[in-house]
Amino acid sequence: MKRTSEICPSRLPDNSALKQQQLPACRLQLSAAGVLSGFFATGAFCLGVGIILILSAKSIKEIEIKYTNICGHCAKLREDATNFDKECTCSIPFYLSETMKGNVYLYYKLYGFYQNLYQYILSRSNSQLMGTDLKDVGNCAPFSKSHNGTPIAPCGAIANSIFNDTIILSYNLNSSIHIKVPMLRSGITWWTDKYVKFQNPSTFNLSSAFAGTAKPPYWSKPVYELDLQDPGNNGFLNDDFIVWMRTAAFPTFKKLYRRLNRIQYFVEGLPAGNYSFNISYNFPVTRFKGEKSVVLSTTTWSGGSSLFLGLAYTVTGAVTWLAAFSMTAIHLMLKDRTKLFIEQ
Amino acid sequence: MTVNIMKSSSTQLQNEKWMNVKVGDIIKLENNQFVAADLLLLSSSEPHGLCYIETAELDGETNLKVRHALSVTSELGADISRLAKFDGTVVCEAPNNKLDKFMGVLSWKDSKHSLNNEKIILRGCILRNTGWCFGMVIFAGPDTKLMQNSGKTKFKRTSIDRLMNTLVLWIFGFLVCMGIILAIGNSIWENQVGDQFRTFLFLNEGEKNSVFSGFLTFWSYIIILNTVVPISLYVSVEVIRLGHSYFINWDRKMYYSGKATPAEARTTTLNEELGQIEYIFSDKTGTLTENIMTFKKCSINGKIYGEVDDDIGQKTDVTKKNKPVDFSVNPQADRTFQFFDHRLMESIKLGDSKVYEFLRLLALCHTVMSEENNAGKLIYQVQSPDEGALVTAARNFGFIFKSRTSETITIEELGTLVTYQLLAFLDFNNIRKRMSVIVRNPEGQIKLYSKGADTILFEKLHPSNEDLLTLTTDHLNEFAGEGLRTLAIAYRDLDDKYFKEWHKMLEDANALIDERDERIAGLYEEIERDLMLLGATAVEDKLQEGVTETITNLSLANIKIWILTGDKQETAINIGYACNILTDDMNDVFIIAGNTAVEVREELRKAKENLFGQNRSFSNGHVVFEKQQLELDSVVEETVTGDYALIINGHSLAHALESDIKDDLLELACMCKTVVCCRVTPLQKAQVVELVKKYRNAVTLAIGDGANDVSMIKCAHIGVGISGQEGMQAVLASDYSFAQFRYLQRLLLVHGRWSYFRMCKFLCYFFYKNFAFTLVHFWFGFFCGFSAQTVYDQWFIALFNIVYTSLPVLAMGIFDQDVNDQNSMDYPQLYEPGQLNLLFNKRKFFIGMAHGVYTSLALFFIPYGAFYNVAGEDGQHIADYQSFAVTMATSLVIVVSVQIALDTSYWTVINHVFIWGSVATYFSILFTMHSNGIFGIFPNQFPFVGNARHSLTQKCIWLVILLTTVTSVIPVVILRFLKVNLCPTLSDQIRQRQKAQKKARPSRSRRPQTRRSSSRRSGYAFAHQEGYGELITSGKNMRAKNPSPIPGLEKTLHNSTSWIENLCKKTTDTVSSFSLDKTVKL
Repeated sequence: MKRTSEICPSRLPDNSALKQQQLPACRLQLSAAGVLSGFFATGAFCLGVGIILILSAKSIKEIEIKYTNICGHCAKLREDATNFDKECTCSIPFYLSETMKGNVYLYYKLYGFYQNLYQYILSRSNSQLMGTDLKDVGNCAPFSKSHNGTPIAPCGAIANSIFNDTIILSYNLNSSIHIKVPMLRSGITWWTDKYVKFQNPSTFNLSSAFAGTAKPPYWSKPVYELDLQDPGNNGFLNDDFIVWMRTAAFPTFKKLYRRLNRIQYFVEGLPAGNYSFNISYNFPVTRFKGEKSVVLSTTTWSGGSSLFLGLAYTVTGAVTWLAAFSMTAIHLMLKDRTKLFIEQ
Repeated sequence: MTVNIMKSSSTQLQNEKWMNVKVGDIIKLENNQFVAADLLLLSSSEPHGLCYIETAELDGETNLKVRHALSVTSELGADISRLAKFDGTVVCEAPNNKLDKFMGVLSWKDSKHSLNNEKIILRGCILRNTGWCFGMVIFAGPDTKLMQNSGKTKFKRTSIDRLMNTLVLWIFGFLVCMGIILAIGNSIWENQVGDQFRTFLFLNEGEKNSVFSGFLTFWSYIIILNTVVPISLYVSVEVIRLGHSYFINWDRKMYYSGKATPAEARTTTLNEELGQIEYIFSDKTGTLTENIMTFKKCSINGKIYGEVDDDIGQKTDVTKKNKPVDFSVNPQADRTFQFFDHRLMESIKLGDSKVYEFLRLLALCHTVMSEENNAGKLIYQVQSPDEGALVTAARNFGFIFKSRTSETITIEELGTLVTYQLLAFLDFNNIRKRMSVIVRNPEGQIKLYSKGADTILFEKLHPSNEDLLTLTTDHLNEFAGEGLRTLAIAYRDLDDKYFKEWHKMLEDANALIDERDERIAGLYEEIERDLMLLGATAVEDKLQEGVTETITNLSLANIKIWILTGDKQETAINIGYACNILTDDMNDVFIIAGNTAVEVREELRKAKENLFGQNRSFSNGHVVFEKQQLELDSVVEETVTGDYALIINGHSLAHALESDIKDDLLELACMCKTVVCCRVTPLQKAQVVELVKKYRNAVTLAIGDGANDVSMIKCAHIGVGISGQEGMQAVLASDYSFAQFRYLQRLLLVHGRWSYFRMCKFLCYFFYKNFAFTLVHFWFGFFCGFSAQTVYDQWFIALFNIVYTSLPVLAMGIFDQDVNDQNSMDYPQLYEPGQLNLLFNKRKFFIGMAHGVYTSLALFFIPYGAFYNVAGEDGQHIADYQSFAVTMATSLVIVVSVQIALDTSYWTVINHVFIWGSVATYFSILFTMHSNGIFGIFPNQFPFVGNARHSLTQKCIWLVILLTTVTSVIPVVILRFLKVNLCPTLSDQIRQRQKAQKKARPSRSRRPQTRRSSSRRSGYAFAHQEGYGELITSGKNMRAKNPSPIPGLEKTLHNSTSWIENLCKKTTDTVSSFSLDKTVKL
């Protein structure tokens, strides 16, 4: 005992705020005024946002056409895998009663397609898609190598199952004049996807770069022949390919296919009138009881929002206000009693 | 610790560590040394092989005890060579835990000597007033009686620990259930959808069947959902406890500057249990009391001294402000003695004869031995500290006890030496409760001076004392009310002739063989009558500072305090009153002091009847059926009102702890507000603790300072040792240690309460967080074909618990306070939630779990609804898996941070840094991991490139995050607000008041000290032991200053054997009367 006191002359603990648990602090307490005003403010904010969201969602023009049944003959044809090389096209006429103003986007939408399955999401090779190592097919099973052992490029289940319908929208001015609506392929992908995540091997000749690789089994042509006109859209840089590779979170999803090029007739958007979709039907969905549709839609400040968010905000706001009112009532009723309680 | 030892093999003394002491070694002990092993006393520096020991460490008794060596061995003296040749053989009982019994036989030089407890010095004692002594080790190490009395060391765990283990098991069960649900879901999905889908996606179609897939899914989900089992919880809990332990170590308010001892948390695993204590078991000596006796007050001839009148004229207690009486004129005065009433000094100066007589009596009637040390200062060797206090008081007031022989007492009366002839010494014993001396003063007058219990002495007074008696009784009551130990003081002038007759009869009686004791007692009775009352003394068994306040406060916190002491019943009761454990307002105090099982049972039954009788008179005298009785009992247990106290002594306790009476004892004890157990052995202390622990299911705390408390300290849930004293055993066995009993209040009410409060908040939040975090996978399972796809990025899962959310909750767990320490002390009722286990229990766990489930639902379904069929601002779809994952993760981090911000009630800088820092860290790590650079290096490890940049620039996603946060938090705030408004807890109210006080700092009003009303009870208590009178009259404990003439020595030798025999006889009598039935049972 003595020795220890000699070694450390003072055993008195430091008088620091931390050690004495006296750190300056503000004590958070839910004061009635604070909570209630907070509630009213939150409620007002939520209601406001909700109403704005609902209004803007209402302003969105959207047309969705499910074509699985409309193109029933094609669907039937595609059910048999041996008919993969037979072409099947399908034309779907429709009437646009109102002009779709502003930017118009063309989506394809799939129902019941599970892009979020564990094995499915994993089944890709980012290093291959970056173009650095085409032979890297590590995670791609069961679509890593073809029957003869050559690595598949692009490998994996995601790439293999690419949505390969072609959708062409034509504007029917009258029964004889069909104008192909000008569509832009650019800008449908994320910038980082197009310029960072997906890169072709750095050679002048794509086909030679992809030599020694096989095409995915369900593909009709190899990856370096996806767009022979535009080298910026060929190989891994193909926009449709990139969009498909960004897997959806839910089994029902829509993916951006094209956007309207606002020239000629379409400067204002899509004018009202007769249109038709010309679809070359390649992607089989009936085998997994799925459906596909094509969607035309405009957007607002918050994107192509649905009613859900607006409604949710409105409901939350309303509930918050309701709670705030009842809490105020309770608080006022109990105020006297509480005071008495404390005085005791 | 080392000791001088002569190993059995060697012939020289050497210094050895205690650990090397072996049976058969001979140990040399010096004054004030601790005894290292159980020894057979061989010889000592004092004549006749006497030695004095203090057994406070063993049984808490503070008076000195005598041990004496066998005469054959005491002749060995300090002769090393002879001691080395000592080759006696001891045959004795096996090691046991009976402190007051020893049986053995020493065979040496062809003769056998029986050994009893009087020849044994036990480990844990301290040698006092004895220069040196030699002893042979009989038991060493774990065989010693002290160690036999210390219970087994058990691994201590808190109730929260146990609850946590249960909960983790439940959670594991829950995890398995979720796994099974999802596995079944997977089997069905595979069957209905997956089969067709699989053929489309994969080449190896038809290979898997759905049941096998379900089986695999089960294990996948067990792995994914394992974050719901809080593995990091255990580590975090330990970190928090460690922090709390450091706070205890660092607390300046628990630092005792007197001994430079800070409080110390010796374990880091029990902190939150400090906030749940229901029973405190306290030792008395050294824990509640300082083991110092001070002369506080006296009443002389109807006048009270020691109280100071202040200006208003009201009686107030002595305070530090008053100047103590200056004793510097008296060169022999003891500097440490303080007395605050100057009137006594004045009375002495005025020559008040009664005061003289009073002080003279104090200087004459005692068993103190005096000695002059090298500096010429007078040193008193006292066998009971009470007497020391009285004699020292007399000494300071000018009646200095100088020296004594077996026939004379020399005192210095105000500067003149006076020698009194000691004619007779009427010794103290427990039945007489008084002692007297008969002296002849130089003038030739014979006087009997007597001091003793007021109850006894007042019966012996001369009728002329009536007026004085009433006055003195009032004074005594006042003293008793203050918890002082009182003695009544009286004298009698004796006629020479009468005394001579009486003395002759006494000598005759002494020569008797039959009924000697009875005759002597009768003679003592006869002469101790017609006494003239002088007054009374009041000695304070000095309580440690703040003991009374601490105990009052702890009782207000609904903590029951039991005193377990080895000391006498009177002493224990007195201390009970002194420190407010016993009060005069109590409805009844039951004293159980039976010596047989039957008596104890009867006494317990009576006490219970009494207790119930006052509460329900309707069932009196009726035969109630057993079952009905039980029901009634359980009702009564809740409804007993009024304060009761139970006092039980060790012998009764031994019987009461037997199985069939145990329940009665426990029931009675738990209905009493206070329980005092006196004369208990260390093991009994542990048994009492164990009893309460086992049958009341309560959290217990034992506090003590000596080796005799070790077993109870080990046994209780929490053991506290008083540190800074000589012995270390209690501290070494304890979980917490500090220097003063009063720190217990701060340890429990502040540190314990905070610890419990923080730990509970921490646990609630932790479980909530894990549920909120993990269950989204479960919901997502229904949308991803039960394919065990995680919602979040793998990196997020890995970092969430460790990096993003661990520090804020740790900071809360370590620093949070609901009310500050001052209020924690001022409102002891705040302690109750801990005792009732309200802040974290299974219900709270389920609430936390439900909260987590709700949050996970909001977290998952709001983004789900918002993302369904939605496009981004640039028309691109945002419902891709990666964006969804980032949205969810961001929402989760924000919701969880807002929640911890709401939970944190004490925002220090650290909390700010940790909470804001965690959110900031989340975003910086998110952006780093989603950056191009890191993707370029590890493309397969960081596939989320560009995601944060893209998703978190969308207004839509921020609106989703905001809505998720609002919906998760709003209900919690509503519920809390309503709870505070509708049924505010005490803590809420005090927090509100605290807030109000902060604005207008009012002066803190101390609770007024209630002055105890006087009562009709005796404050008599005296730490005295029988046998000393004979020791003195025989003169055998006096060291011969000059070599005595040989015939004298012979005479004394002869005498000494006789008194030693008497002493033995008496002690064995008492021992056997105590242990008679015990041995029968054994």
